[in-house]
Amino acid sequence: MTNSGAPFAGLRVIELADDIAGEFTGRLLAEMGADVIKLEPPGGSPTRAVGPFARGEEGPETSLNFWYYNSNKRSAALDVVRERAQFEALLAGADFLVITAQPAALKAQGIDLADLSARFARLIVLSVTPFGLDGPWADFKSSDLVALAAGGPLNSCGYDDHAIPPIRPGGNQGYHTATSFALIGALLALLERQKTGKGQVLDVSMHEACAVNIELANPYWFYPRVNVHRQTCRHAQPTPTQPALFRCGDDRYVYFALILSDQKAWRTLVEWMESKGMAADLVEPAFSDVAYRQARFQDVQALVECFFLVQSAEEAYHEGQARGLPIGVLNAPEDTLEDVHLRARGFFVEVDHGAYGKVRYPGASYRFSSFGEVPRTRAPHIGEHTAEVLAEIAGAQRAAQ
Amino acid sequence: MGVGACATRLLADFGAEVIRIEDRQRLDMPRRLPVYKGEARAYGEEDANPDPNKGGIFNNYNRNKLGVTINMRTKGGRMLADRLIASSSVVTENFAPGVMERWGLTYERLNELSPNVIYARMSGYGHSGPHAEYKSYGPVVQAVSGLSYISGLPGQEPSGWGYSYMDNEAAFFNAAALLMAIYNRNITGKGAEIDVSAIEVGVNLIGPLLLDVAMNGRSTRDGAFPTGNRLEHPNAAPHGVYPCAGEDQWIAIAVFDDAEWRALKGAMGSPAWAEAPEFATQAKRFANQDALDARLAAWTKDHDKRALMLSLQAAGVRAGAVQSAEDLNETDPQIAHRGVFFELDHPVIGEARFEGTPIKFSRTVQENWRSAPLLGEDNAFVFRELLGVSSAEYEALEAEGAL
Repeated sequence: MTNSGAPFAGLRVIELADDIAGEFTGRLLAEMGADVIKLEPPGGSPTRAVGPFARGEEGPETSLNFWYYNSNKRSAALDVVRERAQFEALLAGADFLVITAQPAALKAQGIDLADLSARFARLIVLSVTPFGLDGPWADFKSSDLVALAAGGPLNSCGYDDHAIPPIRPGGNQGYHTATSFALIGALLALLERQKTGKGQVLDVSMHEACAVNIELANPYWFYPRVNVHRQTCRHAQPTPTQPALFRCGDDRYVYFALILSDQKAWRTLVEWMESKGMAADLVEPAFSDVAYRQARFQDVQALVECFFLVQSAEEAYHEGQARGLPIGVLNAPEDTLEDVHLRARGFFVEVDHGAYGKVRYPGASYRFSSFGEVPRTRAPHIGEHTAEVLAEIAGAQRAAQ
Repeated sequence: MGVGACATRLLADFGAEVIRIEDRQRLDMPRRLPVYKGEARAYGEEDANPDPNKGGIFNNYNRNKLGVTINMRTKGGRMLADRLIASSSVVTENFAPGVMERWGLTYERLNELSPNVIYARMSGYGHSGPHAEYKSYGPVVQAVSGLSYISGLPGQEPSGWGYSYMDNEAAFFNAAALLMAIYNRNITGKGAEIDVSAIEVGVNLIGPLLLDVAMNGRSTRDGAFPTGNRLEHPNAAPHGVYPCAGEDQWIAIAVFDDAEWRALKGAMGSPAWAEAPEFATQAKRFANQDALDARLAAWTKDHDKRALMLSLQAAGVRAGAVQSAEDLNETDPQIAHRGVFFELDHPVIGEARFEGTPIKFSRTVQENWRSAPLLGEDNAFVFRELLGVSSAEYEALEAEGAL
């Protein structure tokens, strides 16, 4: 798709964020052309202390955690309490303030979001916090694990063996869930501003974002009023269902949900097994009856387990898909980098990290025919753009006088 | 399955007139899933001939929308679809690739029918590339994008995901893409075709680990990965999920530094074991997590999960009870205070609860004006009143089986 212009070009975002939810929100706005200025304390954002690190070299400029969530931003070292006039001068020219401080921290810093919104009428104040800005838990401390636990996702994730605790799904998904809604909120507020010319305060709660991102668990409570119970790498359900994870000959796995009641899928599977001489008695006419095979589901399961063990996960994935079955290979992160489909789509992009070379990042989550993202640039060094940002403030103040 | 409906729900909630087109002969999967009041069944246990208006999942995803039925295998149905598109400024679909093309509904055609239309295409693999035709739903997307593999205990099969996280996340990113295209069109006047691949959304959600792999050549196949509930970065410890009183009840506790460790020790009543030299620094606690977790679990196991969460938080410890949907809906005081869930009446189901938007806006208003439409409920309103189909024509369409 050919791109011309990025939708957020000309928008300015002031980011005061010290967690992934706020930083990822800023990054998504920056990718689509917004000028995102990350304000950091003089020692640098605490997120720079989090690994992994480039080439294992620990330090504030080599945090891959920081790199990942802060590409395409500028960094200005500014103490927003001591240098309040400059902070407010920045807000006067901004479209967004992305801020992650919880209520007590806001108070301690003398920042009143409603007051800022009243004084800067076009400013969209995008607060992204663990529990929201009000309520009995508003100042509770969180983390990705704590958010996934209290918000509900963790209750559905883990193993069939309930002696093992629920297991956190990898990759900071509590924070990512909050970011998903922060981005949607940002866009709804921009559309509102296009209509009315007015900004507002948005209060995004990670706890609530998780609570509405548990898929079937909520409707199972809303309607039959039952809880779901976790199962190994498949849907948590009110009653146990068959395993869907199959180990293949190369010790990798495929996900394949064997829905015994689906006639067409059943025939396809049996044909596929037969093509490898592994269908055994499943070809018997009796097995075309749903009730008959449901009564023998453990035998069926055992045969399917053997069937996957005689092939590689990659073979099973592509042949199953060629036969029209929704089967997926459990890729490791390194496999996604080599995936021929993602390569053909030109998904991964290279970001120049100077002495550290060019590093591959995942590309945009959406593609548009008439516009698109700006070229990716690396995350900024601490205060890399302080001088130019201060000069811009001074210039804007002179122009206003 | 729920991706398209969940994405457009966001637009319907905030004032867009969303018209959902369905096929009477090929019922939407969410209308068939047996999530009913008063009956607890796994979602594989469908009725052969379900009541299409009774399903909770469909209601959950389609509030605030209008619902019509069109039979695209009839001439009249195809004509109605064209007229509906001509009167719309946004069209979304999440069929398998090629289905819309078979009906001639390419972006070029849509743009003729409705100049500067936004055409959002929501699929698993995207609309180009060698696997574009592959079939997928949440668990397949989670597998292929790497999100399942990176979740689990070391040396065991992956525990992955217990729900279609990626159906929801793909829906959220699709909703954002739609809003972005609308915002952009408001400025430039230009529409857009949107191609969102759920797998690409998923790879983006792997996070910094992907850079560790891409740049440092880190292997995730070394047997020590993934690390269950333990963090690799930073060196938090304790960092885990610990048993509480009752059957299968748990609490998550995360300690990132010495101050938080002191707070946890205080909350435990300063037990002697916590003063042992192997727990004296964050690095030592991180290195001795097996012993630390065993000690902590022995302490948590007799506590009520919610009471323990509150007392630990009061002491300044990051802690969260592992909450079920029941806990969230019935007893979580924060959720209750913020009012994220709400109720709407439904003509067949009765009063039902809904997941709201986890954002409080000071200006933008969410209007919840109806629960999900019954099958074909708004045919007359949409075709007669919005499109201006005459009564004779409408009757002919009905006779043809176009509706």
